[in-house]
Amino acid sequence: MKNDVFTFLVGGKAGEGVKKAGSVAAHMFSRLGRHIFQLDDYMSLIRGGHNFAAVSTAPRWISSQYLNANLVINFDKRSYETHVDDIAEDGLVIFNSDEQEDVKGIGVPLTSEAEKYPMKELMLGVGAVAILASTIGLKKEEMNQIIKSEYPSGIENNIKFADRILEIVKDECENKFPLERGDKERKILTGNQTISLGAIAGGLNVYYGYPMTPASSILHFLASQAPEYGLAVVHPESELAVINLAIGSAFTGARTMVGTSGGGYALMTEGYSLAGMSEAPVLIVLSQRPGPATGVPTYTEQADLSFALNTGHGDFLRIVASPGTIEEAYFLTAEMLDIVWKFQTPGILLTEKHLSESSMTIDIDANKAKWAEPRLHQNGKYKRYLETDDGVSPLLFPISDEIIKWNSYEHDELGITTENPTLVSKMHSKRNRKVNSFIDYMKKELKTVNIVRGEHPTNVFTYGSTYMSVMEACKYGDLNPTIVQPIYLRPLPNWDLEEFINQDNIVVEQSVSGQFTSLLKEKADLQIRQTIKQYDGRPFDPIVLSQKLKEVLQ
Amino acid sequence: MEELKTGAEITWCPGCGNFAIKTAVQKAVLQLEEKGNNRNNVMITAGIGCHAKIFDYLNLSGLYGLHGRNSSNAEGMKIANPDLNVLSFSGDGNGLGEGLEHTLFAAKRNQDITIILHNNSVYALTTGQFSPLTEKGWEGPSTPRGSFETPFNAISLLIEAGATFVARCFSGQVTHLTETLVKAIEHKGFSFIEVLQPAIPYHEWKEYRDNVEFLDEKPKTKEDALKVARDSNRFTLGVFYQEDKKPYHKALYGDLNPVVNSPSRDERLNKIRKFLEP
Repeated sequence: MKNDVFTFLVGGKAGEGVKKAGSVAAHMFSRLGRHIFQLDDYMSLIRGGHNFAAVSTAPRWISSQYLNANLVINFDKRSYETHVDDIAEDGLVIFNSDEQEDVKGIGVPLTSEAEKYPMKELMLGVGAVAILASTIGLKKEEMNQIIKSEYPSGIENNIKFADRILEIVKDECENKFPLERGDKERKILTGNQTISLGAIAGGLNVYYGYPMTPASSILHFLASQAPEYGLAVVHPESELAVINLAIGSAFTGARTMVGTSGGGYALMTEGYSLAGMSEAPVLIVLSQRPGPATGVPTYTEQADLSFALNTGHGDFLRIVASPGTIEEAYFLTAEMLDIVWKFQTPGILLTEKHLSESSMTIDIDANKAKWAEPRLHQNGKYKRYLETDDGVSPLLFPISDEIIKWNSYEHDELGITTENPTLVSKMHSKRNRKVNSFIDYMKKELKTVNIVRGEHPTNVFTYGSTYMSVMEACKYGDLNPTIVQPIYLRPLPNWDLEEFINQDNIVVEQSVSGQFTSLLKEKADLQIRQTIKQYDGRPFDPIVLSQKLKEVLQ
Repeated sequence: MEELKTGAEITWCPGCGNFAIKTAVQKAVLQLEEKGNNRNNVMITAGIGCHAKIFDYLNLSGLYGLHGRNSSNAEGMKIANPDLNVLSFSGDGNGLGEGLEHTLFAAKRNQDITIILHNNSVYALTTGQFSPLTEKGWEGPSTPRGSFETPFNAISLLIEAGATFVARCFSGQVTHLTETLVKAIEHKGFSFIEVLQPAIPYHEWKEYRDNVEFLDEKPKTKEDALKVARDSNRFTLGVFYQEDKKPYHKALYGDLNPVVNSPSRDERLNKIRKFLEP
């Protein structure tokens, strides 16, 4: 393993504070000025099962968790058995000696020590954090400070417990992995947080969401921020309601976003088409998890791509874009909010559990977010669906002296229902002109593809959070291909991909059928020599991926 | 009245009960205007069905939505801009079939909108199938041997769901309908009016005229209202229930108006920059 990465992995049952211990570790690394990437792997249950958090840190930008950890702390036997075979050279494994004996590693009676205190279940995390602090060479005062601020209930007991655990592991752990300090402390955010903040920066007024992993934390975060930013955040009865509420809100001029995953999005497709017809600007965050149907709810996949690209009955402008990093999610969400308002059509911000719920240290210049600015009616008699050269009719919002009618039926320029053949074809053409208008806009105004130039003659195509996996794998394996990440997936910016047409291309994606590969072949005329796929619900591991890439890049 | 009409061709059947509903809505809007409630604040939404054609005929702003989703569109308008008065037109199939969940949840939330449910007891526009309010035994194209499902009681259903203004009117009683519409729109909270209206190819005015009766008085408690709604016949007209309760948007965000009081870009960015500090 590349020696600049240090990985801390903590595992146990749901309810034992595994995720919390992971985020405390992440903050500890960030305070040292280092970058972090945190994966929370958890099952669809409330108590029990096996959860783990893997926090990898480096003095440089790091874009993936490593499972091959330097320090692994297991609260139970199941965790130990899951992770014991993937330990870094010279790595340390801590097991809970109240649960198992005579195994490789350092036994610590975590449970029996914790049982001496009233909040015994929450203590395990404190113990893990204390061990980590000691191994990376933090001073005792620094560690106590962290415990005080991160575990504020029962501080004295927590510190006593931590002292006791450190006594047990002192000889084997203390200062075992002293970590080099980095340049500065950074904020740690999840993708769902940067998506939410990007939307707020872009002008969000209203958010609707029905709980569904991995999109729920957008609803939770925005609900918590609602008073701060004057938002209305509502959890209604179903995704059918969500999309129709959103279109109603958009009618009043409210910048509106909704969020869901595959199954919930399936219910929204009826309203997606309504947004196409009524020309309602609505931004939909579709965070993918493994399907079909209920699938594997708390894990990651990229198999809703074809669905997202082709949703909704009838012809209208569909826009789909996918952020490659947690930072890019901030800017792209604001940009998409602006675009759906400029072009009055539904847009999908396509992402995955891996981006939505993983955490990273970020450097975001908040001011660079776009602001949603639609074309507005100036004065005179208002026609909602005024014919224009680019197909975009100016907007006007209530309360107004003019009549504003949006319609799901085919309609005339005033928004009154029609079945007249001349009007039907005229309105189809008007809406269809927006497709070319948007493509012109993309060419002039948008960065549609991220290209990381390399020296190896092969190009690696990827999109969404898999971009982060590919970046880290190349860093780990010292690989140097050109990495191409289309941000916009519909319309696919094939004009920006022309240079790759006669080159050697491979794809890395997370779907069994190779949906992204098909898209590139069909819409960009690219030859794809091979696709590296993973579809077990887990994100790529950079070590495994770098080996696969190395084989393919020969 | 003239300025509340559009130039759209009216395609309801001659003699349809919907004409009178349209007249009553126009009258109600004018009466509200006399009381200082400007028509520009009135938004309309409609589902799909014969009821919904009213959207094209009323010269009022709004959104002609999808089958069953009109009350969600109306709620979305009200949540984003609580200064609007939103009327949502629905039908017995639209609002209690495909849109049942939305109708009931709008009532549960006490969303401050008015649903006008045109009850013609049939899916008229789709050629006469039985609806959630059709009496047993209806021989429609989907139930050629007679429907055998017991219909909903819209009034008790909506009271139970949490509606805070529930009434039944008849399109043959335009004055009563107009008065009730004014009361419903003025009501701060979720209001629901079931309007009996004959669809001429399927029912006659006489069936209604011979049977309608008025409630003696408005029941005093929710339990009384439910009892009266269940025990009276389906042609009984009047306000069954009214209650003062905080409307949804007030409970959600108090006196905020998300669209009108939206913080500026700079205010937002200042806060985000602070949030992004480690």
